[in-house]
Amino acid sequence: MSAAQTSNGEVVVSVRGLTKVFKDFWNRPKARAVDGVDFEVRKGEVFGLLGPNGSGKSTTVKLLLGLLNPTKGHIEVFGHSPRHVQTKSRIGYLPEESYLYRYLNSRETLDFFGNLFHLNKADRDNRAEQLLEMVGLGKTQTRAVGEFSKGMQRRIGLAQALINDPDLVILDEPTAGLDPIGCREVKDLIIALARRGKTVILSSHLLSDVEDVCDRVVIYYGGRIQAAGTLKDLLATPDTLRITTPVLPRETLERVLEIIRKDVLTGEVRVDNPTQNLESYFLDVVNKARAANETSGAQSGARVAEYLRGGVEARPAADKVLEKLSLPQAAPPAVETKPVAQTSTPKVDAKKLEVLTQASPPTPQPAKQSPAPETRPVDLSKADEKLSSLLGGKK
Amino acid sequence: MQRIFAIAWLTWKAALRFKLFLVIAVLLILAVVGLPLVIEDDGTAQGFTQIILTYTLSAITALLGLSTLWLSCGTLARDIEECQIQVVATKPIARWQIWLGKWLGIVSLNAVLLALSGGCVYGLLQWRATKLPAAEQTILRQQILVARGSARPPDNTAEIEAETDRILQGRLKQNPEMAGLTDAERKEVRKMIREGVKADSQLVPPNYQRTWQIDLGFAKNYLHGKPLQLRVKFNSAQKNAAGTFVALWEIGDPNSPDARRLAPMSLAPDTFHEFEIPPDLFDANGLLTITFVNPNDTALLFPLDDGMEVLYPEGGFALNFARGLAIIFCWMALLAALGLAAASLLSFPVAAFFALAMMLVVFSSGTLAESVDSGTVAGGNAETGVAGHSMADVVLIPAFKGVLAVVSLAKNFSPIDALSSGRSIPWSELGLAFTQIVLLLGGFFAAAGIIFFSRRELATAQGTQ
Repeated sequence: MSAAQTSNGEVVVSVRGLTKVFKDFWNRPKARAVDGVDFEVRKGEVFGLLGPNGSGKSTTVKLLLGLLNPTKGHIEVFGHSPRHVQTKSRIGYLPEESYLYRYLNSRETLDFFGNLFHLNKADRDNRAEQLLEMVGLGKTQTRAVGEFSKGMQRRIGLAQALINDPDLVILDEPTAGLDPIGCREVKDLIIALARRGKTVILSSHLLSDVEDVCDRVVIYYGGRIQAAGTLKDLLATPDTLRITTPVLPRETLERVLEIIRKDVLTGEVRVDNPTQNLESYFLDVVNKARAANETSGAQSGARVAEYLRGGVEARPAADKVLEKLSLPQAAPPAVETKPVAQTSTPKVDAKKLEVLTQASPPTPQPAKQSPAPETRPVDLSKADEKLSSLLGGKK
Repeated sequence: MQRIFAIAWLTWKAALRFKLFLVIAVLLILAVVGLPLVIEDDGTAQGFTQIILTYTLSAITALLGLSTLWLSCGTLARDIEECQIQVVATKPIARWQIWLGKWLGIVSLNAVLLALSGGCVYGLLQWRATKLPAAEQTILRQQILVARGSARPPDNTAEIEAETDRILQGRLKQNPEMAGLTDAERKEVRKMIREGVKADSQLVPPNYQRTWQIDLGFAKNYLHGKPLQLRVKFNSAQKNAAGTFVALWEIGDPNSPDARRLAPMSLAPDTFHEFEIPPDLFDANGLLTITFVNPNDTALLFPLDDGMEVLYPEGGFALNFARGLAIIFCWMALLAALGLAAASLLSFPVAAFFALAMMLVVFSSGTLAESVDSGTVAGGNAETGVAGHSMADVVLIPAFKGVLAVVSLAKNFSPIDALSSGRSIPWSELGLAFTQIVLLLGGFFAAAGIIFFSRRELATAQGTQ
């Protein structure tokens, strides 16, 4: 991707002074859904439209797609009006609900949309096959979409949005109704698309969705943009520092804390066990269970459709959809800046840390024999207890 | 075209998956097969035709017409209301292609259903005909299961108008006090004079004779040696006890030795009569002279529009039947365009209501025509016989004229009547029907529908599925 690479890239979407006022039957203004919005989305960006329900995100998306006409302002998508028909061949769209034909099965659905993109039969068949495998619906190809659960409908909706290998993918609440596996897969797919130079516009009110994948966001409230910028700029807290290590011996930790307390007030230092986030934990459990069990519902996506991977992922190891393990290394700046991505504890050499602590200001050897602790034994036992609990019961 | 066909295919899928196709097909077949079972014919060729051909084809037209309107309103309006159109419209397909694809889907669906039900009617007609008495079978084969060309007396409307004006001018000169008449009064006087002139041109007083000259046109070249049919209808000024009147006919130029007198007939008024006339009685120019002598003691009146007609063999029934179905198909194509145009702008129930209301206007065109004829929407004064006039007439009468002119473009074709009376539906008529009904009227609704649909915001609806 990413933000750094795209700062001077081609402008894919340009929005200037966009305003949408919904009117009633008598043409009286009823609601100002979008009010004077400006932004640009550049090629290869994952751009987030973030905001609470009713803040104007979906209206903006529909204006970008030409499904609504702006009351004021100007929109260009790939340099054309949103209503320009040929431009639409470069766009993939997943609406906030899976507005698909209930009487078609998933195969027919993809075939139908493939026809609208003027794909020949061989291409339609090939892509439908890969997409259905990718979204985990390979075994339910002949079931009518109307019989699908909401999550399965989202999956087939996502597949139709990618049938044309779009340059711009617009996803409106893409993870709504999906289980955690599906959510993770969608997010990883977005990252995989961005890595191929595709532009993604993601509208969501789920902060974790946006935080996990977006390079740049605008935050809506009341139809206006309240904040805009890269996630790094918006989320960074440069006045704090976090060090993560494996569990250290008590003595080492005490020495580290002692050094730190020389520069920082005790109340500003926190020592705790980092917890894995629920999504990662859940995925671990399911992955283990999957090996033994089968489900009649949606399968976990197998692999990103080959035509969507293009030449970027030639390694067989990267075939696995969402390339969970390789992702942090493969997506350099964006992932580095995301605290949530740090779900596992990076290995830090304890000895090095110990050396580091010893290399710091002269070891106050006499301090060990200082009478001060002896004068306050109660405080020490409490500290012991606290440390013991922090270190998982080790004494 | 791939995109348009994809949309058309979608309409087919919907009709099949929602079992709409199956239900309509079963209803049509029930109408075709069931109607003749429920309503017994009287064993005559005419009665048989009335049941097997007229009723069934009318039922098919009505059923298909309603389902076409319903489907065309629903297929687009529901896509918009249930938001599927939001996904379709974001693909590289123009709005007009979506509209046209929907229309094509409905029209092709109709074509299949019409062919299916038409085939059943044709098969049933041929099969049931073998069960008629031999004499009736002969009549059926000669008069109905054929395609007969038609020739009528020349239109004398211009002469009637000229005569009306001549009489009116004469009376104005004779009665200077009439110069002060208002426009409305003058129109009323002229109308009454015109009615008198028109009646004179149709009337055959007692013990008088009337002669018609009918041009057979190009058909004269292939009618030598072939018997023709005369189809006549008259009204009587008074009823008589027998309920019938004697009719004396002479066919051919009265000055020619070849002219033939037919045997005296006893014919009932107010109904059509068909009888054979000998071949080769027309002259070298194709003019057939028909003379009617009224020996009765009451005047008889042959209506200008359908009082006198000569029918001659022109082709086979099968192809004629197919052309008749093709005209019905043109109506369905128009209804599909009407329904889609309404759905392009309105929600499903409102669109369906609008389309049905338009149908109602078409069916009530007779009432509109009466108002136009009388020149007012207000009722006439029963005592004076003079029609009242109001300000509404200034607006409504021209509006009614406009509506009638438009409606007549589609309504002036009557394939079921033609088939029921064994009259030919020429290719030219089918071409005219296609031009007027599909291209002109259908094109108007298509243009309006596509403009509405293209300008419409498709994402204002919340999903209802």
